[in-house]
Amino acid sequence: MWQMIMNELSQATLGVIHNMAEFVPRFVVMLIIILIGWVIAAALRGALRSILRLTKFDKLSEDAGATQLLKKAALPPTSELLSRFVFWIAWFGFVLVGISVLQIVGLEEHVARFFGFLPRLFAAMFVFFFGLLAASFFSRAALLAAVNADLPSPRLISTIIRTLIIIFSVSIGFEELGLGENTVLVAFGIVFGALMLGLALAFGLGGRDLARQYLERRLVHDKKEDKQDELSPL
Amino acid sequence: MQAPQDALWYKDAIIYQVHVKSFYDSNADGIGDFRGLAQRLDYLQDLGVNAVWLMPFFPSPLRDDGYDIADYYSVHPNYGTIDDFKVFLDAAHERGIRVIIEMVLNHTSDQHAWFQESRKTRDNPRRDWYVWSETDTRYKGTRIIFLDTELSNWAWDPVSKEYYWHRFFSHQPDLNYDNPAVREEMWTVMKFWLDMGVDAFRLDAVPYLVEREGTNCENLPETHAIIKELRKKLDANYPGRMLLAEANQWPADLRPYFGDGDEFNAAFHFPLMPRMFMALKLEDRKPVTEILQQTPEIPPNCQWCLFLRNHDELTLEMVTDMERDYMYDEYAKDKGMRLNLGIRRRLAPLLDNDRRRIELMTGMLMSLPGTPIVYYGDEIGMGDNVNLGDRNGVRTPMQWDGGWNGGFSAADPESLYSPLMLNPVYGYQAINVQSQKRFDHSLLFWMKRMIKVRKSQAVFGRGSIEFLYPANHRILAYVRQLDRDAVLVVNNLSSSAQAVELDLRRYKGNILIEMFGRNIFPRIGELPYLLTLGPYQFFWFRLRRI
Amino acid sequence: MPEESILTDDFLRELMNVGEVDILIGIATCNDAKTAGDVILAVRAGLLKCFPRQRAVIINADCGSQDGTPDLVRAASISDMRQGPNVHALRTLHCVSTQVPGDPHGGAALHTFLAAADLLRASTCAVFAPDSTAIEPEWVERLVRPVLRDNFDLVTPLYRRHKFDALLVRNLLYPMTRALYGRRLREPYALDFAFSGKLGSYFLGRDLWTEDSVQTGAETLLTTSALGGDFRVAQSFLGERTRGEGSPPDLVSAIRRTAGALFWSLDGNYPAWSNAKESQPVTTIGAEHEISVEPMRVDRTRLYELFVRGVSELIEPVLKPILSPATLAELQRITALPEESLRYSGELWVQTIYEFAASYHKSVISRDHIIQALAPLYRGRAFTFLVENSDATADDIENYVEALCLTFEHMKPSLLQMWAGEK
Repeated sequence: MWQMIMNELSQATLGVIHNMAEFVPRFVVMLIIILIGWVIAAALRGALRSILRLTKFDKLSEDAGATQLLKKAALPPTSELLSRFVFWIAWFGFVLVGISVLQIVGLEEHVARFFGFLPRLFAAMFVFFFGLLAASFFSRAALLAAVNADLPSPRLISTIIRTLIIIFSVSIGFEELGLGENTVLVAFGIVFGALMLGLALAFGLGGRDLARQYLERRLVHDKKEDKQDELSPL
Repeated sequence: MQAPQDALWYKDAIIYQVHVKSFYDSNADGIGDFRGLAQRLDYLQDLGVNAVWLMPFFPSPLRDDGYDIADYYSVHPNYGTIDDFKVFLDAAHERGIRVIIEMVLNHTSDQHAWFQESRKTRDNPRRDWYVWSETDTRYKGTRIIFLDTELSNWAWDPVSKEYYWHRFFSHQPDLNYDNPAVREEMWTVMKFWLDMGVDAFRLDAVPYLVEREGTNCENLPETHAIIKELRKKLDANYPGRMLLAEANQWPADLRPYFGDGDEFNAAFHFPLMPRMFMALKLEDRKPVTEILQQTPEIPPNCQWCLFLRNHDELTLEMVTDMERDYMYDEYAKDKGMRLNLGIRRRLAPLLDNDRRRIELMTGMLMSLPGTPIVYYGDEIGMGDNVNLGDRNGVRTPMQWDGGWNGGFSAADPESLYSPLMLNPVYGYQAINVQSQKRFDHSLLFWMKRMIKVRKSQAVFGRGSIEFLYPANHRILAYVRQLDRDAVLVVNNLSSSAQAVELDLRRYKGNILIEMFGRNIFPRIGELPYLLTLGPYQFFWFRLRRI
Repeated sequence: MPEESILTDDFLRELMNVGEVDILIGIATCNDAKTAGDVILAVRAGLLKCFPRQRAVIINADCGSQDGTPDLVRAASISDMRQGPNVHALRTLHCVSTQVPGDPHGGAALHTFLAAADLLRASTCAVFAPDSTAIEPEWVERLVRPVLRDNFDLVTPLYRRHKFDALLVRNLLYPMTRALYGRRLREPYALDFAFSGKLGSYFLGRDLWTEDSVQTGAETLLTTSALGGDFRVAQSFLGERTRGEGSPPDLVSAIRRTAGALFWSLDGNYPAWSNAKESQPVTTIGAEHEISVEPMRVDRTRLYELFVRGVSELIEPVLKPILSPATLAELQRITALPEESLRYSGELWVQTIYEFAASYHKSVISRDHIIQALAPLYRGRAFTFLVENSDATADDIENYVEALCLTFEHMKPSLLQMWAGEK
């Protein structure tokens, strides 16, 4: 019996040693992957930083108004933020890959879900960023058009445009991320109304003569007489 | 011997204009003559012409190259005798060539016996044969034709101490057609030649026959009455003969000379000629189409005579001042080339000796409505000598070969009636009949082919004309039609290649057959007919429906 | 219509029929039947009178008029099928009409003229406005002859103008063009002008026809191309500059066509304008300037209000990225003044314009927004011009503009520094 116990003990010990012998190499591989991942992620960060600097991305971001937002939140400039974000995402990805090497049951599924989520995350960021850009552009365009057409409350018009476009892009972003889909529905209703107003302004920009004449007839009746006194600039 | 009978032969004629003195000298006296002309009739027959128009050959002091006639019933001894003329006439008829001679009705030489008598005394029976006046103020406002030499239409006669009327040179007094004796005598003159067998008369200077106070003394009703009278007599006694009018007038003013088909059979279309040259320089068909649009319909038995050049200057009387200035600047930069509101140059020098342009202009001459007249020497591209006075630069000896005197005469070169062309471009060694006969790409050969093709279709001489007006104004295109025969002529007036779309829907279904090569071109359909032409190229297409 | 060609098949076919020409006249129209007919007849009379021997064509670029404008054009042609009474012409004159997209002041019309001129190998081209109601046949000669006979490449017009007319030209276009390009061309933006085939082919060949600036300011760019290149330039006095009935051109589009194009041109022509020294006179044919001073009723208050309101609304979101703090502060200071005291001085105006030009170059914000932002500021300057010259004589106006020009010239180094980023 003692022999049997000793046999079982040695077998169990052998089993543990065997398992450990299997686990340790995987663990080492995991560490190597994480280390390599760190290097690659750092390289990616550096490369992205250079690319963004070359393409003057910070200026675009300033146009979009994103830089101002980040400054208010005491965050670094957009290109730096983006580079660091990419670094952490990339490294986290490698970490997950490393963990998956350990073949811990149940973890692989989460790893796969993470990688599946990444494109949607980038898409949402893209939508949001360009939404900001569009909002800045169109709100300024509306402001200028309203000022030059001598419409009342040009700032208000401009702000409304900006807000609507931001709401629209944020809601699209959230939908992309799969968050608050009901909210999206509600937001869409708001956006639809904003879109109509946007179209009306676009009509005014694109066919501004017609729009101006129409608006003059409807809102600023007496301005027509004054126009006849206006000198020809050319 | 009479030529074949056909009352409207002149509609199918290809007329060759020649000066007897310039063509061929048979007796080595340096001047061409009738015997020489008769010897060269084979050449003319081979060329394809079927009528010859002779410049005046009557006895004359030759101060206006024979248009100052001193005797209507004879032949100038320089050119031979009456018998020589008869031999020539018969020989021409044998070859199917009709003969047209000049008949200067309006005036004579001051050396003519009639004038010599008329000026002797004021009560002379011939006094009234000319137009005399005590003053030079009658018929004020009448234009002077020879502007470069004459200051007035009146000349003082020191013999009879009165003024006499002359529309041309002062040594060419005008006959008085108000005198029936004059009219009768001129008919007698014409009968003399008609009895001999002459086929037609070119009546020189007809607009000026009669003068009336308060008019411009041109184209008066009385003149037309005289012509009608002549024509009536001609038709009654000599059917099939032709009267050809030389009247440098606008088409509308020329129209009356056809009467109701009872005056002239034919008349030169003077205004068209400079416009052909103008259209070529402008590279724009507008001058040609406009003048032909303004040309009135003529009686069915009448005919226009067309020409490019002749013995006179290229007249610019019937153009506007702007057009005249343009023509002078383009064709006669050297003021020595200008004479009497015209340009005294031959065809080839006018066209810069450009073979393509010579062919194009000849093609137009042969295809526009009318009887074409070829001036002697133009069929080989002879040049001119502007250094010879008056219009003599275009009346130099015919160039037959590269030998002695260009083959014109065996006489000493110094005794020729006119110097030969000597320069390397137009001289007789470069341009002559014999050398051109050796090559079938010569201008002479081309001219023969052209005349042959022209004669193959009666439509050219007798058909109607309908202009097409393609949007490309550099293309002059028209359809000639006679009964069921139709020919499409397309001319590129431009020095560069052109594309043209022709609206030929009226002729839909016809196949085009190019007349020189006789090749088939695509059938006419609904769509515009696209043609491309090289610089100065032209096409003649027969329209055939099979 | 073939892809990427501005010439429709029908138009090309008509050009084939026209063939090579010596003179091409372009007229862009859009429902201008009331005035275009007279313009075309005057141009035709000018051609017949002054250039009867030259091969000519009149090309009409039409926006798609519904009032029969193209038919008016075609009716003016002279051919063996069509020639009015009392019209005596040596040659056929084709009058061709083609439709182009966009408005008649767009680049498409000029592009069409240039392309046609290139294909037809026209040695001389001229463009006339369809609403030049005071046009005379002699205008054709005055513009075309210097190009055709005297080998100039660009001939711009000189007009008799009212002292308060064309303030944008007097306050911005002329002085700035003069200062930068070194040549005293009074009407750099012209609607009646002539140019050589050589200049036309050069401009046509430039790779800029898809740019927005060309779409709106092609005429200005043609002028700057000539000034910036090795081309001979002249100006020729025509007469009264009048236009048809209807409201004056919209200010923003006018600024786009002129200042917008001018600013855009500075990028490509930098070597030329940066090296240009003191301005030189340009060959002038006829009177250099004629100014009429009849009384004119002008609403200055409205200009003042638009200026002040415009500046206050735009200062933070638009003007701040464009202008320097000093200029911005000065603008704020003067907009705070009452109407009777407000003066937009020449120095401040020039500084403003140069900063705008530099900002445009750097695209601190959308370039079109920079241009639009000029409109209210121009109004302030126009207001000042009207106030300071209300009783001015013709000579006073001339001296005033000359002083402004000198200010532009003196302050040019400042622009160069801003351009290079040193400021």
